[in-house]
Amino acid sequence: MWWKVFSACRVYLAPCFRVKSHYHCRSEDTGFLGAVAFLNALSRNPCRFIHDKMTGINCVTYWQKIFEENGISEPQQSSEHIISHVLGGKTIHNLTEEALSRSLTTEQKQMIWNLCSKRLHHMPVQYVIEEWDFCALTLKIKPPVFIPRPETEELVSLVVSELAEEEDVLFSVENAGWQNSHRAARPLFLEIGCGSGAIVLSLLHFFKQSYAVAVDKSAEAVNLTRQNAERLCVQHRLQALQLNVISDFQKLTRICGSVDVIVSNPPYVFHEDMSGLMPEILRYEDCDALDGGTDGLKIIKAILQLAPTVLKDRGKVFLEVDPRHPEMIQNWLQACTGLQLTYRATHRDICGKLRFCELQRS
Amino acid sequence: MEHGLRWFISNSLRRQGHLGRTCRCFCRLTRNITTCRQTARFWLSHLPGNVYRPQSERHCHNDFSELLQLEAVRKYIDDLKDEYKEIRNRLNCIESREEDGKLLSRRHVRLAPLASVLEELQSSEKDLFELESMYNSLKARDDQELIPLVLEEQQQLNKSIAVLRGKLLQTLVQKEKHDESNVILEVTAGRTTGGDICQQFTREIFSMYKHFAGFKDWNFEVLNYTPSDYGGLHHASAYISGENVYRFLKYEGGTHRVQRIPEMGLSSRMQRIHTGTMTVIVLPHIDEVGTKVNTNDLRIDTFRAKGAGGQHVNTTDSAVRIVHIPTSLTVECQQHRSQLENRKLAMRILEAKLYQQVGTRAQSERIRTYNFTQDRVTDHRINYVVRDIKELLSGGRQLNELINKLLESAENEAVLELIETRNR
Repeated sequence: MWWKVFSACRVYLAPCFRVKSHYHCRSEDTGFLGAVAFLNALSRNPCRFIHDKMTGINCVTYWQKIFEENGISEPQQSSEHIISHVLGGKTIHNLTEEALSRSLTTEQKQMIWNLCSKRLHHMPVQYVIEEWDFCALTLKIKPPVFIPRPETEELVSLVVSELAEEEDVLFSVENAGWQNSHRAARPLFLEIGCGSGAIVLSLLHFFKQSYAVAVDKSAEAVNLTRQNAERLCVQHRLQALQLNVISDFQKLTRICGSVDVIVSNPPYVFHEDMSGLMPEILRYEDCDALDGGTDGLKIIKAILQLAPTVLKDRGKVFLEVDPRHPEMIQNWLQACTGLQLTYRATHRDICGKLRFCELQRS
Repeated sequence: MEHGLRWFISNSLRRQGHLGRTCRCFCRLTRNITTCRQTARFWLSHLPGNVYRPQSERHCHNDFSELLQLEAVRKYIDDLKDEYKEIRNRLNCIESREEDGKLLSRRHVRLAPLASVLEELQSSEKDLFELESMYNSLKARDDQELIPLVLEEQQQLNKSIAVLRGKLLQTLVQKEKHDESNVILEVTAGRTTGGDICQQFTREIFSMYKHFAGFKDWNFEVLNYTPSDYGGLHHASAYISGENVYRFLKYEGGTHRVQRIPEMGLSSRMQRIHTGTMTVIVLPHIDEVGTKVNTNDLRIDTFRAKGAGGQHVNTTDSAVRIVHIPTSLTVECQQHRSQLENRKLAMRILEAKLYQQVGTRAQSERIRTYNFTQDRVTDHRINYVVRDIKELLSGGRQLNELINKLLESAENEAVLELIETRNR
């Protein structure tokens, strides 16, 4: 009987899920509300899924089919990540054969049902399981805070390798400019738009003697960064503040003092591209963390204008940008006389796209 | 008693020189004493292993004594002893120039353990000789009280001498360059006409090595696991790290043959035995600086989004595939959720594969046959037969014994070869 209810529910839901029209950020469609209600009703009563005997492996294939039928992106990975998470592993490859062929308990099946239902609403997997890995860290992720992207991991390794090379120049105590600073031997990072704190926490984790200031416009982002810092036990080296780089310019310069490196993954999506983004992004992530204005450079320009005032001499700026931006930034810098910033290099990401800009205070 | 034993063991490890002379309990333990980690769990796990120790010791005692009785071996050992004395004298007397001094001291370091073991062996043999004479005199006097004690003492001394002989042999054999490295283990199912016996067998072998790693207190990290239908394993790979992993696993590389009646398919109904194979590849992971791969030779494949990527896309696909273009060697990794971590791991595996020292001949060599219907495993290199396949596949003591046998015979051969080349 419940099977009939379930299949009826699916028939009802299917057209809703297949609608391809765009949604504005955080607005709900009535069809969706209906679908949610239906699923909620179903989950209040254990359905056949929960009562049937199922193993981890069976569950993965079962939900993979459901995701495929409902047009969810990356159905296999979504299914694997959610079920591994419920079974206590990070990926399906971390789980032993025995764990995957064991019969699932009712609680586990209920949890899988709840999480997969969220995924059926195009909620990103990272929000569904409320965590994700970045470099060597595991971070707590909560909507609507921006989810760290794989490209940003490369930004971190770029900063690390650049600093390691320049260690003698940048952090040596002999350098006249910093003998006054009591933090001469310890790099100070500034991250603008920290989100979940991925970049700044990775840097603090790698450079054990470093300090950092992380700012974000959104209060939720700042709170999440603080939470993650505490989980990773680096909170004593981090100052997380809710500041807007454009409107709180003066305040920021006063707080930061002299910074060795500015690093940022600022919102860089061109405004016209916003509506073409995936439903996972549009419906759940904070649009302000993505929208960079008409040319995508709104926040980037603000950061670059701020940079010479907070950076130490020869300090560097590392940015993640849209592939069209490096050229645009270089042109803008040439036009902007009086800005004490030199464009040093553009680095490509693993897909070969121009992704990272490196500038230096001259 | 256990507590006292533990205290005693940790103390005696610090005083390694007294290997042959100290307490009887200590003598009962494994001969690999100096290479073991000081964990209580390890010692405790070996205490109940007494049942097997005397057998294997007796076996190796025969081998080593035979070897040591060879004229050539004795002469070789004596030569080394003389060399050591000479070097010591020269280092003491002459304040030689830097070059000579360095070479000499290096050779001194190399020979020192040998000399110390020899000394202990000699003193133990002397003790044994004294004991024998005491026994004879006691027997003459017919002293019933002391005779059993003397006999017991003799037994213990014999055992310690066997241990020392084993140590001597180990010091004679030059340690292979990569013996201490961690290892990347790969298993691949072969082909057969008998249904999926190869895939099932591959799965059993992989879990055997997993349990063996646990037995030896090594870390077993699965890199890749590709199952096939009906629960078999198509291919898998793992990174095993710990102490001297390569030394123990290097003889596992090659083709393992299986003979069994398949559970699925036509042949199972007819109960006909089929033969299948699977390959095991063991690669030492060499962690040397300067052996980095040129990034221009690599093609790294990851999830590629259409369009701009980056902030425009939400993805959980962090799988990485690295292709080394000159050799078309491919490594895939999807072990982690972080793409960077997957990439680092894939690079590690690629480096190990590129700098592997294992000969290609070993891959096609049929090294072992597992006959399920007759419940025996034969290793063709030393013609050693093991009963009870289930026990062997559980990756515990049986497998450890088999591997130790292989090591012994390899070491024996190495010593003989060493002497031959010296005499030429």
